[in-house]
Amino acid sequence: MYQLNKVDKKFPGVHALKAVDFTIGRGEIVGLVGENGAGKSTLMKVIYGAYQADGGTVTIDGTTVRFQSPRQAMEHGIGMVFQEQSLITNLTVMENIFLGFESQFVKFGIIDWKAMAAAARHQLSKVKLDIDPAMTTANLSFAQRQLVELAKVLTLEERVDGDLVILLDEPTSVLAREEVELLFKLVRELRTRASFIFVSHRMDEVLELSDRIYVMKDGEVVDVVDHDEADIDTIQHKMVGRDIDKEYYREQKQGPYDTNNVLVSFDKVSLAGRYSDISFDLHAGEVLCLVGTEGSGREPILRTIFGLETPTSGTVSLKGQQIRSFNAQTGVSMGVGYIPRERKVEGIVGGMNVYENMTLSQMQNYASGGVLNISRERELARQWIDRLSIKTPSVFKDCGGLSGGNQQKVVLAKWRSAGSDIILLDHPTRGLDIGAKEDVYDMVREMCDDGAGIILVADTLEEAIGLSHTILVLKDGEAQQVFHGQPGDKPSLYDLVHHMT
Amino acid sequence: MSLERIKPHLPWITLLVLVLIVGIADSNFLRPQNLMAMVADIMPLFIMALGMTFAIYIGGIDLSAQSVANMTTVVATVALPTFGISAALICIVAGLTFGAVSGFITTRLLVPSFVSTLAIGGVAYSTAQYLSGQRALYMDATLRDNSFGWMVGNSFGISHEIFIGAALLLIMLFLQHRTTFGRALKAVGAGELAAVASGLSVARIKIIAFALSGMLAAIAGLLFAVKLSGGSPTLANGFLLPAIVAVLVGGTPLTGGVGGVLNTLIGTLIVAVIRSSMLYFEIDATMQQMVFGIILIVAIAATIDRSKMRIVK
Repeated sequence: MYQLNKVDKKFPGVHALKAVDFTIGRGEIVGLVGENGAGKSTLMKVIYGAYQADGGTVTIDGTTVRFQSPRQAMEHGIGMVFQEQSLITNLTVMENIFLGFESQFVKFGIIDWKAMAAAARHQLSKVKLDIDPAMTTANLSFAQRQLVELAKVLTLEERVDGDLVILLDEPTSVLAREEVELLFKLVRELRTRASFIFVSHRMDEVLELSDRIYVMKDGEVVDVVDHDEADIDTIQHKMVGRDIDKEYYREQKQGPYDTNNVLVSFDKVSLAGRYSDISFDLHAGEVLCLVGTEGSGREPILRTIFGLETPTSGTVSLKGQQIRSFNAQTGVSMGVGYIPRERKVEGIVGGMNVYENMTLSQMQNYASGGVLNISRERELARQWIDRLSIKTPSVFKDCGGLSGGNQQKVVLAKWRSAGSDIILLDHPTRGLDIGAKEDVYDMVREMCDDGAGIILVADTLEEAIGLSHTILVLKDGEAQQVFHGQPGDKPSLYDLVHHMT
Repeated sequence: MSLERIKPHLPWITLLVLVLIVGIADSNFLRPQNLMAMVADIMPLFIMALGMTFAIYIGGIDLSAQSVANMTTVVATVALPTFGISAALICIVAGLTFGAVSGFITTRLLVPSFVSTLAIGGVAYSTAQYLSGQRALYMDATLRDNSFGWMVGNSFGISHEIFIGAALLLIMLFLQHRTTFGRALKAVGAGELAAVASGLSVARIKIIAFALSGMLAAIAGLLFAVKLSGGSPTLANGFLLPAIVAVLVGGTPLTGGVGGVLNTLIGTLIVAVIRSSMLYFEIDATMQQMVFGIILIVAIAATIDRSKMRIVK
């Protein structure tokens, strides 16, 4: 029995965990759901020892414990299967499994590889993976690597006394449906030896696998639901704490788009290894959403339009003009604006102030002969600070110090002030709080009213449905289905998921 | 007041403290003539460090600066009899070219700048050896004074080297703060990925940064050659370490993006004060490079932004 009692964790400016109670019994599978920023990752990090709680206690079978590091947590039987693959790909499978714990195979300073291979084979059999432990990890499929990660964590069984608690962080994100089913079957069998904490964005999978589900919102556990009483809608409502209604996505402001004015045209475009045979048209005033799982080809399509990738075949036209040389300068000069997912890394330049960031893509408009007219830059920044109500003490404030929502507004202002009318939004609301998200939705509608076309990769499916006129569903780089949605007549979540996976 | 708040002010505080310490120990140190001579003496190094600033500001480094300066001492001496004052132009073009090639190798062939500039430094060194026939060359005194006498004279009691250094500093300051190039340079240094996602031609900006570094190294070499009235493939040896120290101690970190040319002025003055204090404290000249080596390590270890450089190899 593993228990957290009133666990608290604060970061500068964020109360990440507020008196969280959490219990997991022997052999139990517990789901953990919540929106981005709800505190799931912080909670997991406290559990496996990467963070230390500021308040509250952690007990295992009634004994209070305090982990200073993941290694200490492991000694108490707590293991983590990471979302991002943590295996070192140029090592063999067995080296990965026993990484940091090789000493058990060492005799006279030399590793007994045969003994390690035998032990690795035993671990792999636990996850029913029949591969040569001496294989290089890079040669495995993602599904196989995921199982090796699990096998690695299961070595705890031999190393520690007592029960295991294993955290699975988005284990299914790179798996196909049949692989997911195999994984779930395995997890159910393994519950004789371990209990599991299952974190996933895929609500249906959480419902399917978990005995109980913890629902988190704003650093708190807002509900604990038993498997039999769980229902997607109820849980989702608790996650957002409000009804996801049409109001939220500004559906009433969704106007018709201009079918005669094509801004972006893809004609059977392929990029080797990323996507193939993609065709679509983006019109002025239209929000076109690319929907698919991670790796389905959404981002490479955006990057192609911006000019960062050169397609291997097919025709890309911007405003009726066929693009032959793909580079970001061409993209920008054709009016493409790119709002990347990694806002802090690709969106704004931390260390540069508000006006410097706003004019970064259009410096030539604020310079003559290469010399900047800084007072005009400041004037522009002041205008857009007013127009988008950007909260900043002044135009001289380092953008790295602004909140996520205000950083996003600065990035949007950068493109809109330059007159960009093909706007690529990659997860524009990721990590923003609800108010800031609504600001972004307002801006999307305003841009459409101004005649811009928007290609969106949304943070959630609800967002994709709520915002877009047109949805293109992708899977493994191929177009699956196109949906058209009018306000009040939108495709359902199920429609999309059905074609995505 | 936290360390983060003090950090930007550390360079000039250090300079002030050093000047006070040496000034108290050595009553001659603070005499205007002495200070003036010290500053004039450091100008070739300062000019090289100015160029190095651009390379480091974008997160790279220019290890060819010393070799390029060496090469231009030879080029200037060899070209002087034929070309007169135009020898300066040849030096500048040579420096620009070597720097641009380093930049090209770094950005197009994706060879890290510490390797590309080291390699190009080798080319510059061999060029110097070939042109000089591996001997020390001397300028004809009349020719030198006719073409480059203005570089080393005195006006209003101030050495002309200081004017040259100041003029270059002002130009570079303008370039850094008031031009689109300077702004792009800052974006590349502080957030290269965001610069790419804003449609900037990052490769071109980097090539220009390395070219500027090469050009300023060449001007440093030219000034040094005129000052010593000759050239040799090893004349500027011992410049590289203090030039890097000047940039880093001045407050432009190896990770780039902050600091700039004004910081390098302060850093160079710190180097100058340390140098002259070593004379006063009778530390052997052979120890100089060791001292700068230690300062370099301490300066980097103490100031580098670990959040930007998590993995060090």
